[in-house]
Amino acid sequence: MKKLAALVAVIAVVSTAAAPPARAADTIKIGAAFALSGSIAVYGEGFKKCVDLAVEEINAKGGIKGKKIEIVYEDNKSNPKDCVTAVRKLITVDKVPVIFGPAGSSNFMATAPVAQENKVVLISAQGAAVGLTRAGDYIFRVFPSDTLQGPHLAKLAMSKGYKKVPVMYVNNDWGLGLKNAFVDAYKKMGGTVTDLIPYDEKKTDYRTELLRASKGNPPAIVNLTYINEGAVQFKQAFEMGIKTQWLCGSAARAPKMVELAGKAAEGVIGTYPSVPQNTKAYQAFKEAYKKKYGDDKIPIFGDYNYDMVYLTAKAIEKGGYTADGIRKALPQVAKGYKGVTGDKTFDDERSPKYAEYGIWTVKDGKIEDYKK
Amino acid sequence: MDLLLHLAIVIAIYTIFALSLNVEIGYTGLFNFGHVAFFAIGAYTSALLTLSGIPFAVGLLAGLALAGLCGFLLSIPALKLQGDYFGIATLGFGEILRMVVNNEVWLTKGPMGLPGIPRPSLFGVVFDTLPGYLALSGGMALATFAVLSFVVLSPFGRALKAVRDDETAAEILGKNAFRFKIKSFVIGSVFAALAGVLWAHYTTFISPGDFTLTETILVLLIVVMGGKGTFLGPVVGAVVLIFFQESVRFLRLPPEWTRLLGPLQQMVFGLLLIVFMVFRPEGIIREKGGRRGD
Amino acid sequence: MDPISYYLQTALNGVLAGCVYALFAMGLTLIYGVLNFVNFAHGELIMWGAYFLFLFMGEPFGLPLYAALPPALALTGCLGIAMDFSVFRHIRRANRLTLLIAAMGLSVFLRNAAQFFWGAEVRTYGLEVTAGMRILGLTLTTPQIAIIAVTILCVAAVYVLFFKSRLGKSMRALSDNLDLARISGIDTKRAILAAWVISAVLAGIGGILLALDTNLSPEMGVINLIKAFAATLIGGVGNLWGALLGGLLIGLAENLGVLFVSPSYKDGIAFVIMVIILLARPYVIIGERSD
Repeated sequence: MKKLAALVAVIAVVSTAAAPPARAADTIKIGAAFALSGSIAVYGEGFKKCVDLAVEEINAKGGIKGKKIEIVYEDNKSNPKDCVTAVRKLITVDKVPVIFGPAGSSNFMATAPVAQENKVVLISAQGAAVGLTRAGDYIFRVFPSDTLQGPHLAKLAMSKGYKKVPVMYVNNDWGLGLKNAFVDAYKKMGGTVTDLIPYDEKKTDYRTELLRASKGNPPAIVNLTYINEGAVQFKQAFEMGIKTQWLCGSAARAPKMVELAGKAAEGVIGTYPSVPQNTKAYQAFKEAYKKKYGDDKIPIFGDYNYDMVYLTAKAIEKGGYTADGIRKALPQVAKGYKGVTGDKTFDDERSPKYAEYGIWTVKDGKIEDYKK
Repeated sequence: MDLLLHLAIVIAIYTIFALSLNVEIGYTGLFNFGHVAFFAIGAYTSALLTLSGIPFAVGLLAGLALAGLCGFLLSIPALKLQGDYFGIATLGFGEILRMVVNNEVWLTKGPMGLPGIPRPSLFGVVFDTLPGYLALSGGMALATFAVLSFVVLSPFGRALKAVRDDETAAEILGKNAFRFKIKSFVIGSVFAALAGVLWAHYTTFISPGDFTLTETILVLLIVVMGGKGTFLGPVVGAVVLIFFQESVRFLRLPPEWTRLLGPLQQMVFGLLLIVFMVFRPEGIIREKGGRRGD
Repeated sequence: MDPISYYLQTALNGVLAGCVYALFAMGLTLIYGVLNFVNFAHGELIMWGAYFLFLFMGEPFGLPLYAALPPALALTGCLGIAMDFSVFRHIRRANRLTLLIAAMGLSVFLRNAAQFFWGAEVRTYGLEVTAGMRILGLTLTTPQIAIIAVTILCVAAVYVLFFKSRLGKSMRALSDNLDLARISGIDTKRAILAAWVISAVLAGIGGILLALDTNLSPEMGVINLIKAFAATLIGGVGNLWGALLGGLLIGLAENLGVLFVSPSYKDGIAFVIMVIILLARPYVIIGERSD
C-alpha cells in the first residue's frame, strides 16, 4: 500500500508540473518540433540556428505589432512516436496555433493528422516527399516537392549524354520518392535504368553496393544519398578506384559531406532546388548568419527555415494570432513573396508552386554551382 | 487536459504491451528480445486491412491471429534453445521482420509508412475523440489484465512458474514444459499484437521506424522495473516510466541541453536496468513467494 | 571490370569484413567460455575502442595514429574490467535472465554515453583518402592490408596465450568447470580478469580497424554485435577457431548476398544464417561445454 501511495504522489507531482504555465500576454509563441536529439539531430541543430536568426531579426525590428516572437522548441527525438508526443504537447500545453514541423517525411507524416485534427497549422521547411501535405488544409510546406526534382535530374543525366545508368538510393521515404520520380521521367526521355540498388542508412561499409553499381564500368551512376552516407560512399568508391560521374539529388549537397569525404567528393554533380545566391536577400542572410555564428557555412535547408519564420510572421501579422487566421493568410502573404529561397507562392496542395533547380558540384573542396 | 488524455492512452497501450511480455519473461522465463515484432505484426495487419476498407473488428482479429500464428511458428524451433540463444534468435526475428516491412514496398509501402489509418469503429461506435479512444484502449487494457490474471492464476499459470523455476522438476512432474512454453509464447504474441493494433489506429500513421530494438528495451524496462512475474508490475511500470519520460519535457531546459536529452534519458534507462538487476531483480512489486535475488 | 575479378573483389570485401567479425566473435566467445554468459554489451567495447582512438588523435592530445593506439587499447581493456567490476561481478551466481538484462542495460548505457559525448553523427579519423593499390585486378587499401595482417597476428597471439601459457590453461579449466577450477587451486579471479582484458582488447582492435577502414558511429557496436553472435554460433560457442571461421563465413555470405539478393537485406543475411544455424543444430551450439 505504501508503494501505491508513493506512486500517487509521483503522479501528482508530475501532473502539477504538467499544468500549463501562465501565458505571457506580450509574446507570440510558435511551436517547433525539431530533432534535437537522435539520429537526425545533426540537421535539427542547423535548422534551429537559422530559425533563431530570423526570430532575432524580427524581434529586433519590433516583433509582430510590438509583440516579441518566442519559439517553443520541443525535441522530437528523430522518431515518429516522439514527434507525435512533441506536437501534442505543443498543441495542448503551450497552446500554439502554429508549429514548425519535424524533418524527415515519415516523422512529418506522423504529426500531420494530429495538427489537422486539432486545427493547428503545421509547416515543413525541408520535406520533399511526394504528397507530404495531403493530410489537410492546415498543413503547409515551403520546400518544393520531389515530383519537381525527379525530372530535372533525369534532364541532367540526358543532357550529359548518359542514356544508361544504375540507380543507387537510400532506402527511406525520401530516397524512394525521388527514385520513383527520377525513373519515371528518365524512362519517358528514353533512358534505361540498368540496376536499382537500395541501401540502408547509417552503415559504415558500402563497398559491395558500390561494386554492384560499377559493374560494367558505367560512365555515370545516379546516387540519391545523404550527407554521411554520401561521404562514406564517395570515399570508398575512390579507394576502390571506381571512375564514374556521380549524379546526386539535393540531400547530399552540404559542406559537411565534402568535409567528411575529402578529395573523394571532387567532381560530384547533382540537382538541388536552387536558391539564387547572388540576390541581395541571400547575401544579407549570409552576412547576418556569419555575424551571429562566426562562419558562413549555411546549414542544409537553413535558408528554407529562415524563410518559413518570415512567412509565418507575416501571416500572423495579416491574419491574427489564431490558427485559422494564419491558415487563411499564409497563401495571401506568400503570393509573390521573394524570400531568400526565391518565390514562395503556394500551389493548391499548399506546396511551393515554383522551384528552380540548379546543378551543384564539388570543386576544390567547395560546393558551388556547376558550370558547363 | 488533452495531453493527459494522450498520455493515459499511451500508458494503456504500453500496459497491454508490457503485460504481454510479462507472460513470457515473468511467468515463463523466456527472454524474448524480438517482442516488438509482434507489436508490428498487429499494427501493420490491422492498418493494411482497414485501409483497404475492411471493418476494424476484422482487422483487429486478423492482426491477433497472424501474430499468434507467427509466434507459434517461431517458437517451435526457437524454444529448443537455452535462454541466451532464445534471446538472440528472437532478436534476429525482430530485425528480419523490420527489414521485410521496410523492403517489401508492394505490401507495406516500405519506408513511406502508412498514413491515414482510419479510426476504429466497433458496433457502430466510432472512437475518434481522445476520451473515446481512452475508453477503448483502457477497456482493452482492463480486459487484457483480467484475461492474463485468469490465465496466470489457473493451474496452467502455476505450471508455467514451475517450468520457469525448475524445468527438470517440471518434466519429472509429468508436465510437458515445451508445450507450456509454446502456449505462453503464443499468448504473449497475441496480446503484443493487440497493443500494436491500438497503437496503429491511435497514431493513424505507422512506419518501419516505429518498431526498433529501442521499443523492446522500453517495454522490457517497464516489466523489469514494475516487477516481473507479478500482476500489477507491468501496470505500475508503464505508469511510472511513461510519466518519467514525458515529465522531462516540462523541465524547461535550455535548448543547448536538449540535444543531450535523448541520449541522457536512454543512459538513465540503461542504468535503471542494471541497478534493478543488481540490487532488486524482483522490481518495485515483489512476486509473492518469489525467491529473492533470483 | 571482368566478371571474375568482380566476384573476387566481392569475396575479398567479404574476407575483410569477416576478419573484423572474427575478432569480435573471439572476444565474445572467450567471455562466454569463461563466465558462461553472452555479453550483450560486447558491441559497446567495439565502439568505445574506436572512439578512444578518436579521442587521442583529436584535441587536446593530437597524437599520431601509432602513438594513440596503445593508450586507446589500454582504455578499452580498462573498460572491460570496469564492466565486470561494476556490474557482472555482483551477479556471478544470478540466473541467466538477470545477467542478460543487466548486460542489455549496460549496452544501452554505454551506447548512449558515446552519443552524449560525441553526438550521433558519423565521424572519421581524418586520414588522407588514398586510392587503393591494384593487385591482380583487385583493389586493396593500406587499412585493409592492416586488417588482414592484424587479424592473423591476433589469432596467433590468442592461440599462444590460450594453449601454450599457464594463464590460458587456467582459463580453459575455468570454462570447463568453475567450481572444480576453484577447488584445484586455480586463481580464478586472475583468470576472469585476463578474460575480460583480452576480450575487450580484441574488440577494441577490431573496432579500430573497422573505423580506420570505414567510419565511426555510436551504432557501430550494436550492428556488429549481431554479426559477432552469428559468427560465434556458426563456429560453436566457446570455440576460438570456430569464431574465426564463422566470422569469415558471415562476411562472405553477406557480401556475396548483395550481388545476388537485394543490398537492402545485407544485414539480414547474417540474421538468416544465425536463425538457420540455431534451428539446424540447437543442441550442438553449446560448444564443448560439459555442464
